[in-house]
Amino acid sequence: MRRRLTLEPETTEINVSPLIDLVFILLIFFIVATSFVNEVGITPKHKDTASSSSDLEEPLAFDLPDSGQLLLDGMVIGLEQIAPMVRSRSAEKRTSVIVRASPGSRAGLATQVMDQAMLGGAQAVKLSPLAQ
Amino acid sequence: MKRRRRIPESAESDAINVSPLIDVVFILLIFFIVSATFVTLPGIEVARPQAVTGKSLEKNAVIFALSEENEIKYAGSTVQLEEIPSLVELASKDRGKPVVIQVDQWADASILAKIVAQARKKSSEVSIATRKPKA
Repeated sequence: MRRRLTLEPETTEINVSPLIDLVFILLIFFIVATSFVNEVGITPKHKDTASSSSDLEEPLAFDLPDSGQLLLDGMVIGLEQIAPMVRSRSAEKRTSVIVRASPGSRAGLATQVMDQAMLGGAQAVKLSPLAQ
Repeated sequence: MKRRRRIPESAESDAINVSPLIDVVFILLIFFIVSATFVTLPGIEVARPQAVTGKSLEKNAVIFALSEENEIKYAGSTVQLEEIPSLVELASKDRGKPVVIQVDQWADASILAKIVAQARKKSSEVSIATRKPKA
């Protein structure tokens, strides 16, 4: 009689295994959900306060015509020339770069131009559309 | 008599006490729920341009995509250029979320420039998604 009394409270324990199962599934879901989007990219930065025309230094303006070429002051240049050009200029003063994209030019090229300019150490990089 | 009683008792105490485990798992669960950020994806996969200076971007961002056919995608549907500022404002809820543009490398660069200009009206940080060049 006495023995039964001591055993009884133990059998009324709640079975927590399904709870643990559920909580573990939720836990794993939220751990995985934290790494769903992992994006790599470039962030072109430029000052919005001053308009590009009122800048003291003339920005390096790259033109992207619809022919798929890359022009600097009307001259065709290569992608690999951008970084050294920006680097030599930014040694003396702040260098800002503006990429003027015509309709029909490729976004991949525009991104690579901005990437190369940032690799060269340009402080401000701006992408602007050019109406034809 | 005493010995007989001990045998079933020791068998019962063999069960592992799971209460501390549940405590720890609950704390982890609450941490991951609180830190989880759900972003709305544009719904298309684009061929990102290569860039060597690409850095890891903020995960909690408003994501737009520009497809190869020059369609602007947001949350699975095509949107117009003029809708972008209001969409950014709606999605960031005054928290100033950054904007990420997933652009296809064969898309039109002038449209990309217009999207950047539109997104800049409402967000101070506008990034272009790239991929690392293969070494």
